[in-house]
Formats: sequence, C-alpha cells, structure tokens
Amino acid sequence: MIKTEQLSKSYGQFVAAEDISFEVQPGEVFGLLGPNGAGKSTTINCISGLLKPSLGEVSINGYSVLSEAVKAKQSLGLVPQDLAIYEDLTGQENLNFWGQAYGLSGRQLKDRMSTVLQQVGLESRAADLVSTYSGGMKRRLNFACAILHEPRALLLDEPTVGVDPQSREHLLSAVENLKSTGTAVLYTTHYMEEAERLCDRLAIIDHGKIIASGTLAELRSHMGEKDLITLQGDFSQVSEQVLSDFEVIEWQDDSIRFMAADAASLLSDILSRFGKGQVKQTAVQQANLESLFIKLTGRELRD
Amino acid sequence: MGKLSMPLSVARIRITRVLREKWGLISWLAIPMIIVFLMSLIAGTGGGQLTGRLLITDQDNSVVSNFLSGGFNQGPMAEIFTTELVDEQQAATLMEAGDASAWITIPEGFGQAFLDNQPTRLQLVKNPAQNILPQMVETSMALLVDAATYLQIIFSEELAVLKPMIEESQFNDAELVVLTLGVKQQIDRLEETLFPPQLELLEKPIEQLPDETAQNQITFGLLMFPGAIFMALIFAANALAVAIWDDASNGVIPRLAATPSALGGYFNGQVMSAMALLGLLATVLSVLGSWYFNLPLSQLPLMIVWLVFSGLVIWMLFTALALLMPTAKVANITINATTFPLLMLGGSFFPMESMPPWLAGMGQFLPNGFLLKGLKDWMVRGEALTDALWLPLLLGVAILLMFWVLNRMLLNQLVHKV
Ligand SMILES: Nc1ncnc2c1ncn2[C@@H]1O[C@H](COP(=O)(O)OP(=O)(O)OP(=O)(O)O)[C@@H](O)[C@H]1O
Ligand SMILES: [Mg+2]
Repeated sequence: MIKTEQLSKSYGQFVAAEDISFEVQPGEVFGLLGPNGAGKSTTINCISGLLKPSLGEVSINGYSVLSEAVKAKQSLGLVPQDLAIYEDLTGQENLNFWGQAYGLSGRQLKDRMSTVLQQVGLESRAADLVSTYSGGMKRRLNFACAILHEPRALLLDEPTVGVDPQSREHLLSAVENLKSTGTAVLYTTHYMEEAERLCDRLAIIDHGKIIASGTLAELRSHMGEKDLITLQGDFSQVSEQVLSDFEVIEWQDDSIRFMAADAASLLSDILSRFGKGQVKQTAVQQANLESLFIKLTGRELRD
Repeated sequence: MGKLSMPLSVARIRITRVLREKWGLISWLAIPMIIVFLMSLIAGTGGGQLTGRLLITDQDNSVVSNFLSGGFNQGPMAEIFTTELVDEQQAATLMEAGDASAWITIPEGFGQAFLDNQPTRLQLVKNPAQNILPQMVETSMALLVDAATYLQIIFSEELAVLKPMIEESQFNDAELVVLTLGVKQQIDRLEETLFPPQLELLEKPIEQLPDETAQNQITFGLLMFPGAIFMALIFAANALAVAIWDDASNGVIPRLAATPSALGGYFNGQVMSAMALLGLLATVLSVLGSWYFNLPLSQLPLMIVWLVFSGLVIWMLFTALALLMPTAKVANITINATTFPLLMLGGSFFPMESMPPWLAGMGQFLPNGFLLKGLKDWMVRGEALTDALWLPLLLGVAILLMFWVLNRMLLNQLVHKV
C-alpha cells in the first residue's frame, strides 16, 4: 500500500535520508522510530509528494507519487508534524474545508465529519473556534482532517508530540481503529512506548539511514534477551578489563553501558569489581526498543 | 461542479476569515473615507463643495500675456479651475464676495517688457478663506514666471529675432508653441545654472470670508473620491496577498499540496475571494460616494465593475511580489513598502490634478495610477467611455493573464520555502 524503494533525499551536500526501503501493508502499522533530525519527516514528505526524492521510488496503492500524483494522493491521508489548520475557524469549518480538498461533499461529507469528530472525541467542541482549543485538541483536529476521506494509506508524523495523556489516548485508539479497518499506517515517533503499542513492524532510523527493522519480536531478539546496564560514577582510573566478560557498548569517564543476561542477579558481583565510591548510580533496562537503539547507536533516543 | 467546489470552498474560508476579523475590513473602509473628508476640509470650507475659480485681468492683451493666461486653461489646472477673463472692476467685486479662489493681473506692457528683457511684475490676489486652491495657482504661476524668466535670460538672442515677428504678427500659434517647447527642453537641461527670476509675484491677500456657494462644478472632494476607493482596494489587495504567505507558514498550503485537489483550486479560490471582497468594498464606497457627490446612478454599475477589475489587477501584482520573496516577513515588508508609494503617487492621497505635472506623470505609469486615471477621465471629466478606458483595460487584462500564470508557478514553489 505504501512502498518506498531506495529512497534518498539530500539538501545540497547534506543527506537527510538515504536508501530507505520499506513497504506497509493494508491493516498494518509500520513505525519509523528515530531521534530528532533522524530523517523521519523527510521520509514522510517524500512519500506525500511535498518533497521530491533525490533518488528512489515511492508509490501509494500502486501509483507512483511522482508520475501519477493525483491518483496516488487520492488514497493518501497526511497528518503533518506541525499543525496545519485554521485557528480562526471552528473545528467543523476546518473539517469541512479539508473534506472538500479531498473531494468530499454534501451528505457524505456531513456523515464523515460526525464520525471523525466522534473518533477523536471532539463532538462537543466542534462548533468552537480552534483558537479556543487546548494543544491536545488541536492535534486531534489536525489528525481528524486527514482521515475524513477514509484514506487507504495514512502518514502520521509524530501525531502525539507534546500532548496530554487524554489526547494521546484518543489518538492512539483512533489509529488502532483505522488499522482494524484495513488502513495502512506509517507512524513516525520518538516515543518507543507508542511504537511498542501500535506497530506491527518498525524501522529504527538514525542519521537518515534505517539501522534495524523488523517486527517487535525480531528487534528484541537483536538484543539476545539481554538487559542493558548503565553505571554512572567516576571511571577515569578503571581499566576496561574489569568488564571483559560482558558486551560493552559505551565506556566513558563518567558512564559505562554494557549488556548482560539476567542483570539483576549479577549486579552485586559487578559492583564488587569497582572500587569504593566509583559507582554512584546503576540502572537496569530490560530489552526494549530504547535499549536496542542505545545498543545500535551508543546514544539515547531522546536527548 | 466538481471543478468549482474546491475554489468555492477556499473562497468561502477566506471570506469568512476576513469578515470574522472585522477590524481589517473596517479599516479598509474607514481610512479612505476619513482621508477624503479631511482633504476636502483642507481644500476649503463647505465639505468639498468648493469651486476653483480663477480670475485673470489682462491689461496687456499681448501675444505673451495671452500665452500666459492660456497656461491656466490647459492641463491639470483646467481640471480644477475655471478661468475667466474679467476686467478689474468685476474681479474686485468677485474677490470681495469670496466667489473666486485667486485673481491674477497682467499689467499693461508686460509682453513688451518681457521681450525687451525688462523687469516686470504680475499681481496675484488670493482668497484667504481657501487653502489648497490658491496655493496651487501660486505654484503654477511661479512655474510659469520662472519659465518665462529663463526664456528671457538664455534666449535673449532668439527673443530678439522673435520680437519683430510678434510685433508684425507674422506667425501662427502653432509655430510659437513648437518654438516654446523646444526652448523649454533646453531650459530643463540648464535649470541649475539659472539666475533668480526677474519677474516677481506681488501678493495682495484680502481679508474676506466667502459665502457658502455650492456650485455643481468639479470639486476637490469629487476629484479625490475615486482615488480614495482605490486606497481601500490597495489596502485589501495588500492584506489578501500577504494572507497567502500566512497559509504557507501555517502549513495549510503544503498540506493542500498533498491532496488530490492540489494548489490550482486553492489559487482560483483566492482569485474568487479577492473579487468578492474587493466587490464588497467597491460597492459600499461607490454607493456612498455617488450619494454624497450627487453622481448619476447610471454610472454606478460600470464604476463598480471597473473598481473590482482594478483591485484584482493590483492584487495579482501584490501576490506575485509576495510570492517572489523568500520568507513571510520579507514579503510583508516588501508589500507594505510598495503600498505607500503606490498610494502617494497613484492619486489616492492627493488627486493627480493637484500634483506637480512631473509627479502626476510618474503616477500615471503605476498600475493603480493608469487604472484610476481611466476611471476619472470617464466619470469626472466626462470623456467617452471607450476613449477613457480601452488602454487601461488592455493593460490590466494583460497584467491579469501574465501574472495569473506566474503566480500559479510561484505558488508551487512556495511549498518548498516553508
Ligand atoms: N530544508 C532543509 N534544508 C536543509 N536541511 C534540512 C532541511 N529540512 C530538514 N533538514 C535536515 O534534515 C535532517 C532530517 O530532518 P527531519 O525533519 O526529517 O528529521 P525528523 O526525524 O523528522 O526529526 P524530528 O523528530 O525533530 O521531527 C535534519 O538534520 C534537518 O536539519
Ligand atoms: Mg519530524
């Protein structure tokens, strides 16, 4: 339904996305997980036709976004990362406008508007000016405008950034709902909890490249069921030999990261290898996307 | 219907938003009205019902003095003043009754003195109850006097040749005009090296208030009013052009680019909403103006159509200018910076009739200038409709078509600027 083949996008010398290939099936949520500046929006904008890829192919519902743009766009819904709605109009007027932009009208548009308003939980505020909405409500409306025409492919660019738990729940369950009706969803986020909850498959993207992809289970197995241990303290005088029997990811003067199976039971042994007062803090993370990202890049997902 | 529904929807959104904002619309309507009102107050008493009446007493009655008094019967001066040749007795009576703006006396021997390169003087009496109109007479006279003086100084030899011709009346008016024009061009080039004029103006203001005379002549307010409507149109065109940038910055245009209706429908919707809003302004202001200035209602429909057409041309130009700029901020600054000179030179603040001729000439090359001039030639000056409007119409249509295409291209590029 949504397909990219060796998609690349450069701004001058700078490569914002490189060799991105994936396919999203109907009824599937595909996650694009990556930190700020990873190239998520760049990828989404190439798919929606806003940006012209420097290399590679993009198709939606079998239509090339470049050469059969109108047909491709008919099956596409886009929720941009930044709000793209009119603050000085009501929610209803916004929906009406975007519905028309997608070719809806009359009775059909009216019906869809009330369905969608209900899905995002804005029925009671639909007649109010958007400028009176909370940030989360604006995000919900921004989302609602993209699904009026029941697109078969939906692009969501960090739809939950900066929203309250209530609005987040509305949005996530709306996505689950769309998935169950057969929509192909491309979901970008840097919240790994969201990715774990929604996504059937995902790709981890960093510096414009996909560094790992697969189902959640496949990605977890990258971690070999090992936990991620982070120690903080003063390690400037400590030799790396101390942890030679572990898989060390990162070694700095003030922090060490390494992997270990069943870390909890090993912790006292590990701590005994360091001198008094050298370790000030310990943290153990079970295998998850966050720890995988750290393993792959040596950095955390969120700065 | 399918093709129209997107533009209609875009237009409806724009109109809703403009009307909802209220103050924008109110200021577009109110500022021009206030300016007309203030300007007609400045022009004299009686709220714009003032007649520019220029009295000339020609005691000399020579070729040269005819030439001078004829100067007031031509060009922009003739639009505002009716010039009357009167004798001293009549002039004094009229001036004292406050029935005229100014009175010029050309003394006997003026022509001869001029040709002989002798100092001489003109006498100007101004009506103290009026401000702008007498001022205009004075400025114009000063120009004529200067020109004549330069003539004397630089072309004394030519004048010496001319003198016997004039005295024996062996020439025709056409020759004189051609000769004078040639000489004037020389003068313009030499202006900086010239001496102060030898002719002087003697001013003799009288203290007398005019009666409230309401004559149905061309009034200052009437000359201003079409220009003031243009001011409202320019304000609106300015705001509507910049609003496209707002749509880009707030993400609406990029998001629309990702829909099947793309940006063609959006642009057509902008054109439609611009026409509707300009139409609203033009209608309200034309109806008010026609009522206030007692204009024939038969002129009204065409006047409104012409105003909408003019407003759309200006909007199309503003839009291109805005879309050419790299950011919303630069677009905003550029459009505002352009608006001011357009208003000043294009006859919206001061009617072109009251501008120095070189300035008015410049103003007529501005799009709003020639569109306004066409309208006034027809409405105020009573020129034949086709004579007055065909050229501005042609130019306006050409601008519309060219810039429509350009703006469509620029709009597609705008997606990548935000
Ligand atoms: N118009 C542009 N010109 C130059 N560089 C750009 C441009 N747009 C984006 N970039 C760069 O491309 C990289 C990827 O940006 P992108 O917006 O795709 O990141 P992202 O993964 O969506 O990040 P975020 O989570 O912050 O939204 C960034 O380093 C960004 O600075
Ligand atoms: Mg982004």
